[in-house]
Amino acid sequence: MSLLAIKNAVQIFAFRNSQVQRCIHTTAICHKVQSGRYRVTPKKDFPLTYEMANPPHRIAHRKSWNSWNTSNLQGGPRPSETAIEDLFIRKFVTGTWHSLFVSEIIIKRQHNIIRIAGIIRQTLYPRKMYFLIGYTEELLSFWLQCPVKLELQTVTDKRDVIFKYI
Amino acid sequence: MNFIQQLYRCNVINRSPLNFIKQFSALASNVENVNTKSINQDEELDKLYKIVELELRGNDPAVLRSFAKFATTAGQHLDVEAKSWSLRKPVHERYTVLKSVHIYKKHRVQYEFRTYFMFVQYKHLTGSTADTLLEYVERNLPEGIALKATKVELQKLPDHLVPPPKEDVKQIS
Repeated sequence: MSLLAIKNAVQIFAFRNSQVQRCIHTTAICHKVQSGRYRVTPKKDFPLTYEMANPPHRIAHRKSWNSWNTSNLQGGPRPSETAIEDLFIRKFVTGTWHSLFVSEIIIKRQHNIIRIAGIIRQTLYPRKMYFLIGYTEELLSFWLQCPVKLELQTVTDKRDVIFKYI
Repeated sequence: MNFIQQLYRCNVINRSPLNFIKQFSALASNVENVNTKSINQDEELDKLYKIVELELRGNDPAVLRSFAKFATTAGQHLDVEAKSWSLRKPVHERYTVLKSVHIYKKHRVQYEFRTYFMFVQYKHLTGSTADTLLEYVERNLPEGIALKATKVELQKLPDHLVPPPKEDVKQIS
């Protein structure tokens, strides 16, 4: 039963019993933009990094892109394959370094080399971190068939990355 | 070639132009000396380029401008006349798509790809200098910048093309 049908039924009912006159208010569908925006909490304790705090219309003004390549230029090569590779890299890296990344994963492509950058929390032993770096680089370079380099920075406290609380 | 071996040894991309260019300028002069010696031995002469033009395309105008400045400075350190300009207007490729999966034709989303253009030109180079400079500039290309290099070469007129003798010219006039 759509809103209009209900409204018509109510109007007909009101016409028949003229003592009761009630209408349902209907407005046009209000498609507000919701992408990349976070709702304000009443307790104001939800943390946001700088990237999360700026909505997508701030890209190229206060924000910059997360993946840098030449595939989206005029006459750029393989845009769709590059985008899907980026999705795969992000999923793989997030899964391998589980709940360790504090920032977004930044992917840069230069002449066949893929460089993956990001900020990690310092909760692992350095030995384990070296192993994970080697593992990620080896497997990704085998799957993507080009040299992959990981450039990671570490932060002692994850609260250092928080820009504001909502 | 020694300088190519040196390039492959330093696998970290070196972004300090002065140190790198000083190495290169010394090596370029060595290469030119070798070339003058080889002329006496009837080997191939070095090519001469009138213009080497680089067309740069990128999504971010600030990165493009800084890289053009880098390329012109690199040329100036090697005593090559260099200049850069951005004549062509940026190209905005726009897509207007439906916002919702099903119905709601009146609500759309717009996406845009912007391509900015920049040109860098070097004048009067020899072949070896052009190769060295192009190699250096290409190795230091930042991510998100595309490069297209055009070389205009100067060649000697072939021997079978001879200017007409002076008697014919007098008859016409």
